[in-house]
Amino acid sequence: MDRKKILLVDDSSTVLLMERMILSKSPYDLVTAKDGQEGVEKALAERPDLILMDVVMPRMDGYEACRRLREQDDTKAIPVIMVTTRGELQSVETGYASGCTDYVTKPINGLELLAKVKSCLGQ
Amino acid sequence: MSDLRKPAPDAAKERTRDLREVNERLKELVASLRTEKDRLGAEPHPAIPPAPGATSVPETLDLEKKRLATELALAREAVAHAQEERERLRERLAELEAEHRRICDDYVAAQEKSTDLAQLYVALERLHGGATRADTLAAIQEIVVNLVGSEELAVFERRDGALSLVHAFGVPPRALDRLGLEQDAIGRAAATGRLFVANGTPAAPGEEDLTAVIPLRVGDSVAGVIAIFRLLGHKPVLDDSDHAVFDLLSAHAGLALRLRDPRGPAAAG
Repeated sequence: MDRKKILLVDDSSTVLLMERMILSKSPYDLVTAKDGQEGVEKALAERPDLILMDVVMPRMDGYEACRRLREQDDTKAIPVIMVTTRGELQSVETGYASGCTDYVTKPINGLELLAKVKSCLGQ
Repeated sequence: MSDLRKPAPDAAKERTRDLREVNERLKELVASLRTEKDRLGAEPHPAIPPAPGATSVPETLDLEKKRLATELALAREAVAHAQEERERLRERLAELEAEHRRICDDYVAAQEKSTDLAQLYVALERLHGGATRADTLAAIQEIVVNLVGSEELAVFERRDGALSLVHAFGVPPRALDRLGLEQDAIGRAAATGRLFVANGTPAAPGEEDLTAVIPLRVGDSVAGVIAIFRLLGHKPVLDDSDHAVFDLLSAHAGLALRLRDPRGPAAAG
């Protein structure tokens, strides 16, 4: 089975490290970016199988990054899971409107994250 | 001399009468036999006796009956056996389902434990990984926001017998600029070194938004506190993993700040 590549986009080193800790138990190749703009660039360069995208980030937020990814042929089919501290309905709706596939809330629940990652990757 | 060949008239009459009687009886007998014949003709014919050595019809039926009875007994035995097997399989299935549930529960517990340990590792790594006090304060903020789940916090340090605000996020810093020791739950946690957790009941009027106060220990002394106010909307209560993070912050955050004090660790203490 091919190793899946996951792009982690978050300006928080704490969240990136946490996501790495959770996902490193499964055979994934992990790539990171520190904001939405870098996330879009890395997505184009790395062609990941899945993207975990923070919402509030400098330079470009997660919603805008998601919209940009959906506009491009090379990235429009990549599933995006929004990682947000705001679990309110409005935030979730904005995420879906921007094209995200699913969402998880912070603090990250390892089991929930793994389940959603596997689901998005069809595993 | 009389003619012996000629019967006497009386004797002839008697013989004639006898013959008529016999004739009458024979007629009755023939009629009776005809009646009996008709009756027998109307009745079913009796079975023809089997030839010697051949199996009779009743015997064949008997044998068939016995064979069917044997087959029925065998079938009943097979059904009983199958029912026993089904019961055994049902019990085994129930055992396997219970085992599956136990393994799932263990997996969930292991994953939760793993996440808890990952949180502690990440928190420790972040607290001690920074080069400056600003890095450490940013790490404290990120830990509270991303691992505990609150976007409202303040960090105080003990200075000159009071608590001075050194970092705030999501709360107005002016109101918390300087607090006295023993003053409300924040001051008391600094004075006593005991963790305060609201647990749904506020410590005092005006502290309704306060969720927890974590004393920052450096050795035997308390160097300051982290006050955590409202939790995120989707996180209603604190759990065991939050308390583990509080313990870690209490043991390491103060030390991490002290070690990065620009005046030097000794001067800061």
